[in-house]
Amino acid sequence: MSDVSAGREVGEAEIAALLERIQAGDREAFMTIIGLYQRKVFVMAYSILRDREDALDAVQETFLRLYQKAGLYRPGRSFQGWLLQMAKNISIDSYRKHQRKRREFETTRPVEEIPVAAEPDRDGDSAAADLRGAFARCVDTLAERQKMVFVMRHYNELQFNEISETMKISIGTAKSLHFKAVQNLRKRLAPVLGIEP
Amino acid sequence: MSRSKLTGADWADRLSEDMDEARRQAMSEHIGKDPECRAEADAIDRLLKETAAVRSEIRQAAASVDWESLPAVIADRALAAGDRAARRAPAARPWAWLAAFSMKPVMAGLAAGLVVGAAAMYFALRTPGVPADRDGAYQASGEFLVRAEREMARRNTLDYLEKSQYVLLDVFESAGEGPVVPAAVRTERARDLLQKKKYLNAQLETLQMAKAKAICDQIETLFLELSQIDDELPAAELGRIRSYVEERQLLLKINLVKKELQSGV
Repeated sequence: MSDVSAGREVGEAEIAALLERIQAGDREAFMTIIGLYQRKVFVMAYSILRDREDALDAVQETFLRLYQKAGLYRPGRSFQGWLLQMAKNISIDSYRKHQRKRREFETTRPVEEIPVAAEPDRDGDSAAADLRGAFARCVDTLAERQKMVFVMRHYNELQFNEISETMKISIGTAKSLHFKAVQNLRKRLAPVLGIEP
Repeated sequence: MSRSKLTGADWADRLSEDMDEARRQAMSEHIGKDPECRAEADAIDRLLKETAAVRSEIRQAAASVDWESLPAVIADRALAAGDRAARRAPAARPWAWLAAFSMKPVMAGLAAGLVVGAAAMYFALRTPGVPADRDGAYQASGEFLVRAEREMARRNTLDYLEKSQYVLLDVFESAGEGPVVPAAVRTERARDLLQKKKYLNAQLETLQMAKAKAICDQIETLFLELSQIDDELPAAELGRIRSYVEERQLLLKINLVKKELQSGV
């Protein structure tokens, strides 16, 4: 799920060299970068879009944009942070677009075709899916930096030192943002999870 | 730790799992004893369990993706898009070198100022002239043409005054003891000069040669009378003309105007 799955860690100099080659149209260099970061970008996109195909589209879009804008990367900045930020923006745009389409679709559908929101005899799987949906919606409502830290920590499974490097914040700030994110989620999900608010 | 509540920093450290073994042990003991902290820990654990479920869902979705072939697919798309963009790019234009300058607002303002300034200078300082002739004939500036016209008028006036002077002197000589010019010749000369004066009038008026025009007009009046007399002038008539010339000091004035015209004033 992380770079480890891609086989190895990469240094800033190596990234800079790869990006330089990408600007010159080097296909192999581009494929290397994709191989290194595709899973992380997928996780970021999926955590926002909650749909495999939409997330894959966002992954492709993110790397296509990287190919066009490789020259804009400034050494010294976290490449992973830059790329994930790009993925997040693309995913949010895609989410809004799909949401608009869904709304348009639903308003033009006959009433009998619209699924009933709650069915009394639903099975356990659909209840769990609803809970996950509620959880995802609550994560979406978190403040920007809290959400980034939470997603990177729990979905991308990054360590706090990696998160701090990616977001250019201190490890203490990363931990603090994570704690605030958990606290906020706890409050918002209390009725769904059946815990004290 | 066993008696007081856990602080935010304690919870943050517990969440980040960034604690030594002794602290972890102490915290676990406290949570076990304190119902409020236990409830809080349970709630967080429940939440993290749910997080793990979402993570599991993401892993499941990721597991079905062909990660090996995806880089090639994306690279092909990117390169194809790059080729399309290159094909769409227009051929190099003559003004393509301008793209080298990033036209920031200040630069654009300066460039626009230069263009407007140059245009204003051109229209303000250009010499008014005759529009270009399509046949490619000789072209001259307006100022040159005015100067040439004035020079011609000066020469014509000088010539007119000089010839007029001779005619008048003939008249005087006829009235005195000197050789007499035949009346027909004198009349003919007077008529020639009247013709010349007609042509001269336009030049003198256009070029505002007021002094020369005034004396020429007076001479013209005299020549009008002379041109109508074909026969020899009677002595009384000659005397009248002579006194007219003398009263108005015509010969003197002719000399003065001639000198002025000769000196180019």
